Amino acid sequence: MWRWLAEATAVLAKDWRSEARTRYALNTLALFAVTTLVLVSVGLGPLGVSAAGAQVLPFLLWIVLLFATAAGLPRAFVQEEETHTATALRLAARPSAVFWGKLAYSLSLTLALEALVAPLFLAMVQLEVASPGLLVATLAAGGFGLAATSTVIAAIIAQARARSTLFSVLSFPILVPLLLLVVELTRDAVAGEAAGPALRQLLLYDGSVAVAGSMLFPAIWNP
Amino acid sequence: MTTPTIPPPSSHPGLSPAAAVGAASLWLWMAAVIWAAFLWAPPASGFKNVYSSRILFFHVPMAWVSLVAFLAAGAWSVAYLTRGRRRRHDRAAAVAVELGLVFCLLATLSGSIWSRLEWGAFWNWDPRQTSIVLALVFYAAYLALRSAVEDEPTRSRLAAAYAVLGLVVAPFLFFVLPRLTFSLHPQPVVNAEGEIGMDPRILVVLLAGSAGFTALFFWIHSLACRVRRLTGGNAD
Repeated sequence: MWRWLAEATAVLAKDWRSEARTRYALNTLALFAVTTLVLVSVGLGPLGVSAAGAQVLPFLLWIVLLFATAAGLPRAFVQEEETHTATALRLAARPSAVFWGKLAYSLSLTLALEALVAPLFLAMVQLEVASPGLLVATLAAGGFGLAATSTVIAAIIAQARARSTLFSVLSFPILVPLLLLVVELTRDAVAGEAAGPALRQLLLYDGSVAVAGSMLFPAIWNP
Repeated sequence: MTTPTIPPPSSHPGLSPAAAVGAASLWLWMAAVIWAAFLWAPPASGFKNVYSSRILFFHVPMAWVSLVAFLAAGAWSVAYLTRGRRRRHDRAAAVAVELGLVFCLLATLSGSIWSRLEWGAFWNWDPRQTSIVLALVFYAAYLALRSAVEDEPTRSRLAAAYAVLGLVVAPFLFFVLPRLTFSLHPQPVVNAEGEIGMDPRILVVLLAGSAGFTALFFWIHSLACRVRRLTGGNAD
């Protein structure tokens, strides 16, 4: 078990080390997120889409996050294929260690992205959140769901053609329940209402995708 | 891997006697369902436009079949992954999704037309409408994945994994959606479980139609699988 943990941690460390060398996430992904955010805010601000938007703002936040993660997370596996290091990774670590290592990497990227985007979004659209605790919980749980789903789908599309578009095509149907739940929870957080069954269902979704993903991963990863 | 065996040519090419009886029975059954839908079952009361309510005898079974197709594709995908990666399981899953897509499209279109006649709008985002459009998007995504992978074992493996992931995630829609919107689909009257309030003749035709369409689905499915197998495997 410790060996497994060592392997998974090694995968995570390798990804962060290679990220530190290229600073892709920092430069490109964060820039994509901020640009999308500015675009959305321009629609709400200078273009004057009015405050009927209060209902729609939580949804817009999650759309920005969804597209930013769709742009950035597939890299976890696609890069392995492109740099031809996938075979070496298959030899170096067992599939479950690869899965959880990559998931940890995707999760850390997603949480960092959320930490950047969410406060900026709230500031730019002037949205007051009555229950910040619920919002943080939603971002964390929703972020985990995004990362877990992205890890599985990225592993699938890394072995296909038309990768970037295929990633969005495949992941969005799977992410719909997540999107519905996190938007509902974000609206509750903004309004200061209690979470209701949605938070439980979101955690259940996260657990289901993580478990299903870890069970399917050997079939996806090993030829 | 065993070489596939080709059955010796028989003196009666075409359907075996059992299959011929089955096909003829299905033909008669569906003819009876169509006749009954238009002539025997009474118009469903409680609907604004009682004549167009007969669309339910076609819309409901097709929506039901698209659900069956989804579950069948999932089951065959699991079989593919866990029982020796047999090509016929993968072929069965792919055909089920393609057929499911057709039934799903027909169900969506018929539902949309009926919705316009009954409720005044082609689309309302009622939970069942939302579920069916998500099923449609999921089927299309599965087929997009299949067309994006050239190598056959890889394609089968990845598609099967995606189908199982979809199967795991789909039940969440059943909890989440009804909470978020009110439903235009009247539960006690149109629900296929046949709550009190549905005229028994309507219920009979509905159930018979569902059984008929399900049999039709599996029959077309078996034909398509055989054609695929004979024309060279997964020629997607």
